[in-house]
Amino acid sequence: MQKIISAVVADIGKVLLGKDHQVKLALACLLSRGHLLIEDLPGMGKTTLAHALAQVLGLSYKRVQFTSDMLPADIVGVSIFERDSGNFRFHEGPVFSQLLLADEINRASPKTQSALLEAMEERQVSVDGETRPLPQPFFVIATQNPLHQSGTFTLPESQLDRFLMRISLGYPTREAERALFQGVDPREQLRKLRPRLDRAGLAQLQGLVGQVKASSSLLDYLERLVLHTRQSQDCPVGLSPRGALALLHAARAWALIHGRGHVLPEDIQAVLPAVAGHRLQSESGDGAQLVERLIRQVDVIAA
Amino acid sequence: MAYSERLPRESLLWIFAAQFAVLLPHFARLPLWIVGGWLLAAWWRTEVSRGRRELPGKPVKLLVVTAVVGGLLLSYRQWFALEPMVALLAVSFTLKNLELLTRRDGFLSLLLAYFVAATLFVFDQGIPHALYGVLAVLVVTAALVAQAGAGSAGPRRAIGLSARLLAQSVPLMLLLFVVMPRLGPLWAVPQEDAGASTGVSDSMSPGDFANLSRSDKPALRITFDGPVPPPEQRYWRGLVYADFDGRRWSQGFGVDPREGGRVYWSDSEQGLPEVGPRYRYQVIQEPTRSRWLFAMARPHSVTDGVGETRDDRLVRAEPVFSRLAYEVRSWPRDTINDVPPLSDFERRRNLQLPEGGNPRARAWARRLRAQDLSAGEISDAVLSVFNRRFIYTLSPPTLGADSVDAFLYDSQRGFCEHFAGSYVFLMRAAGVPARVVAGYQGGEWVDGEQYLLVRQYDAHAWAEIWTEGRGWQRVDPTAAVAPERVRDGLQSAAADEFMRDALLPLHRFPVLRQLRLQWDMINYRWYRAVVSFDSERQQDLLRDLLGRVTSVRLALLVGLPAVLALLGVGAWLWLSGRGRRPPPAARLYRQFCRRLARCGVERRRGEAPEDFVARVHRERPQLGPMAASITTAYQRAAYADDPAALKQLRRLVRGFWPSLRRG
Repeated sequence: MQKIISAVVADIGKVLLGKDHQVKLALACLLSRGHLLIEDLPGMGKTTLAHALAQVLGLSYKRVQFTSDMLPADIVGVSIFERDSGNFRFHEGPVFSQLLLADEINRASPKTQSALLEAMEERQVSVDGETRPLPQPFFVIATQNPLHQSGTFTLPESQLDRFLMRISLGYPTREAERALFQGVDPREQLRKLRPRLDRAGLAQLQGLVGQVKASSSLLDYLERLVLHTRQSQDCPVGLSPRGALALLHAARAWALIHGRGHVLPEDIQAVLPAVAGHRLQSESGDGAQLVERLIRQVDVIAA
Repeated sequence: MAYSERLPRESLLWIFAAQFAVLLPHFARLPLWIVGGWLLAAWWRTEVSRGRRELPGKPVKLLVVTAVVGGLLLSYRQWFALEPMVALLAVSFTLKNLELLTRRDGFLSLLLAYFVAATLFVFDQGIPHALYGVLAVLVVTAALVAQAGAGSAGPRRAIGLSARLLAQSVPLMLLLFVVMPRLGPLWAVPQEDAGASTGVSDSMSPGDFANLSRSDKPALRITFDGPVPPPEQRYWRGLVYADFDGRRWSQGFGVDPREGGRVYWSDSEQGLPEVGPRYRYQVIQEPTRSRWLFAMARPHSVTDGVGETRDDRLVRAEPVFSRLAYEVRSWPRDTINDVPPLSDFERRRNLQLPEGGNPRARAWARRLRAQDLSAGEISDAVLSVFNRRFIYTLSPPTLGADSVDAFLYDSQRGFCEHFAGSYVFLMRAAGVPARVVAGYQGGEWVDGEQYLLVRQYDAHAWAEIWTEGRGWQRVDPTAAVAPERVRDGLQSAAADEFMRDALLPLHRFPVLRQLRLQWDMINYRWYRAVVSFDSERQQDLLRDLLGRVTSVRLALLVGLPAVLALLGVGAWLWLSGRGRRPPPAARLYRQFCRRLARCGVERRRGEAPEDFVARVHRERPQLGPMAASITTAYQRAAYADDPAALKQLRRLVRGFWPSLRRG
């Protein structure tokens, strides 16, 4: 099992050079059945990451480019009258896939955004009074441009909360970039990737996440962290129970990816910026800084 | 909540309840029209709240105030005395109801109610009054509590909250009771001096109707420091009657301190006997509204404001309006050896008799005198006649104009006043200086608290005669007739008559008697511990507590409990906030961190073990391997719940003593 995970990480690393940490986070997010939000400038490899994940994990992959004139039906699908049969037939939208890349989600109108976010939460869509389940697994990687860019609709906090993690890829290191220049075109590499897992294997891995042990000492630390976000003057908004649970899930997945049967405080600290950053941010405070301070202020060892 | 808001109707009911609670004990004392006035004012205010009537305008209020002032003047006729002052307060308090408009007025009225409740103790400081005072304060506080918020607190909640508030204030109250300086009053309103209310009065006229006090109310409570006098010695002298006008015995000119009687107020004025006193005791006297104090012969008191007269009594500078405690030392007459001779003036005064009247008694005395007997022999002759022919009764017939003759030869029935009066008359007629002494005799020994309880019915009159060489000698003619009166008290001497006119013959039931004695004991304790806690006893107590009373120690006494209480609260908060003890693995790991910190590698707060051990590797490479294995063991013990790892961790940490030397 461990081998498979390392192979997956290595495979994606071939396409997305020098971004192992982000790749692992994305994998952890997927394993703990959450959705991922990537916030970064255009051209940083967001799409590449999503595509590579889909390839390696053998998931059906669709991509939607969000625009401001998009309607919910463009994502969910629409029933069209067919003259031949004299019936309405439902044409599935891009949401009916196992891995959906929702590119530049903040360019769409709030109405369209919320249609997607509802589908993410419920893992089913209702069209014309009929409920249709989405394929299993269902994993959304949404990307958004930094908020100050023009023509964007900010995702409200309640919808940011639907994403298990928010990560940004950042510029590659010098070595990685040099390797990028010298090596094969990533698109070529991408095409060469072969699935390492089938659907059953992925489900098994997801099941294993729940079995990773979280000891009471670890839960104490988690409690202290959560309590600190709720009591400290630093944090205008505390971490919700859903946020705390997400943190635990993500930490378990992280521990699993690192081949451990139990969660360490380091695992929590590793996933904390991705899981808590977008949940703690507010107009007055940047999420990343808050999380950094939070890690520094809360003692890992029980006092 | 705005103070200028109009008073809600529920608040009005609360205020009336509080007013009623504090005024109720005063109603018995105040003139009836004040009660009526309160009812009227309350009714008027209620009518206003129901919208049927307007609050009175200025002219009406002016009229009412005038009427009230006039009424007070009419009722009391005197202005600067305590009762009219209390009445004035009660009336003002009552009239405030006619101006009860806003919440602010309501608060004012309730705060005034506390003051009215306090005036309760001006008249009586007994336990029932104190309990009632607590009740009144409870109701007033509940009324205040009900004002807070929207005025919608239910009665039970308000009373409950009020009780809690009062209970919480008890420790502070006790502390203040002990340390608050006892200041004398800045100004005093004289209490009304309406006649004596004790079993011993200014004068006695045995001929008139037998108005002997048969009340079983306590008069004196006496605690002894040292030996207790035997029953036959327990004569508590209060007054000396030297003057007889044929019917009435009174103190007379030169004996009564109000009429030229000499009083020694300080120790140096009258020398004390050389041998020490036989009895030392403290008398707690119930209020008598007169100046006489009671003590055994030859008394001396060091209490302030208590003086001695030349005829061996104690008097007080001010009348006794409230319970008074005074210290006495007594030298019984038989312990005093050198007796100054009787001055001519004294002799004349104690031989004084009216010009005429009582011829038969005078004739008998003349016969006795003619036999050339000594004073003692004359006395014995008279007492033996008393013993043979006379009957002790509490309800003697009234006597005619020559009361002594009528008693000696016709009725031959009487009580102590008759015997003492006629005995002194006979002695004086026979040429022996004699005088009547009034006071209390006997008393009931209360075992539980070790004090002597003297009741009003222990009031007694006896005689003193002058014998050459021995001075004034006590003679109790009643003892010749009814020895049991002196030995066992009034109750056994006149068992049938005793308290016959009492509404219920309670004294006949031993159980009830015992209960009453118990009750008196409680009262006594209450008085000793609470009411008589004056500045002197405060100093004593503080000295007991602190040794020497200095401001630093006093501050400690006040500050220490406060600091301790605050520390207690702090500790409680800290302990309850600290949560549970950390698990053993965490404790061991912390120990490891402390040891590392001592050699310069300190773990930061949020630094996870893995990161820390990496830093240890960087900063102190030679400690790295050990730190790594400890960290691994800790991680397994704490996060994988591996018991073997915990053991290993314990072992590793115990053996981990990094050298302080930097490598």
